Amino acid sequence: MADDIDMEKPVEKSTVSNDCVVKSEKMFSLKRWNAVAMWSWDVECEICAICRVQVMDACLRCQAENRNDKEQEECVVIWGECNHSFHNCCMKLWVKQNNRCPLCQQEWSVQRIGK
Amino acid sequence: MITLTKRLKKEAESRNNSGTQVKHEHPAPKRISIRDKLLIKEVQEMEQTIPSTCRVKFDNPDALHDFSVIIQPDEGFWKNGKFLFHVVINEDYNISPPIVKCLTKLWHPNISEEGEICLSLLRQNSIDGLGWAPTRKLKDVVWGLNSLFTDLLNFEDPLNIEAAEHYRKDRNSFEIKVREYVNQFAKR
Repeated sequence: MADDIDMEKPVEKSTVSNDCVVKSEKMFSLKRWNAVAMWSWDVECEICAICRVQVMDACLRCQAENRNDKEQEECVVIWGECNHSFHNCCMKLWVKQNNRCPLCQQEWSVQRIGK
Repeated sequence: MITLTKRLKKEAESRNNSGTQVKHEHPAPKRISIRDKLLIKEVQEMEQTIPSTCRVKFDNPDALHDFSVIIQPDEGFWKNGKFLFHVVINEDYNISPPIVKCLTKLWHPNISEEGEICLSLLRQNSIDGLGWAPTRKLKDVVWGLNSLFTDLLNFEDPLNIEAAEHYRKDRNSFEIKVREYVNQFAKR
């Protein structure tokens, strides 16, 4: 790893068979390397388009009904084949009306339920 | 990230409070319905984003689920008219669409003389993808109603069949009847 980013060695502008460029000077050197990592939930849409609460939180209904935390834990996420995600509670209500994804209008079929 | 820490904090708090019977000391806050929670945000958004030809009026500022929309088209056949719509939003919003009636009598292919409205996004069960979806909001309803006077005006799939046929047979006479109705019922 250290070898890969060892830029202390002078960066030479010319190499072997090029006679025109003879100048060989150190352009820059890398003194420090700070890598920053970002993360986010692995879902395509983070907000449930039905109740407009983050899918990883309990849905608006579960929150409003003053359920305890354990019950709210059970408010899980559902993914469709179209890769859109919603709260399972929200989607249960909606598919009774119309078995389509509210976002892309494709026929709704479940890919995965969980968190 | 924020929500996770919030939840952990909440969990820790409820663990600390367990046994002290907090619930009995503080009466539970008055339950606000899901509909009303959604409406608080949507009404605000609607008021900020509706077209200039529309106005929204709440008779009771505490009842966000019951209001009027006044549309004064600035182009098209119904130009210079003033049309009143009544919007009622039931408890099962936003699974179900708002219920809208037109209270101003008018001659229009997509609005009956009794005030029923043919607008795809207000339809609960539609086989195409154009009907109601919980992703739609109040502002979309107002924009939809407004468009019935302009680009969503549709003579091909009429609700008031007589009006649509009238237009097909004699456009001039249709326009005259529209004006007559505007002068009689929809004066500004």
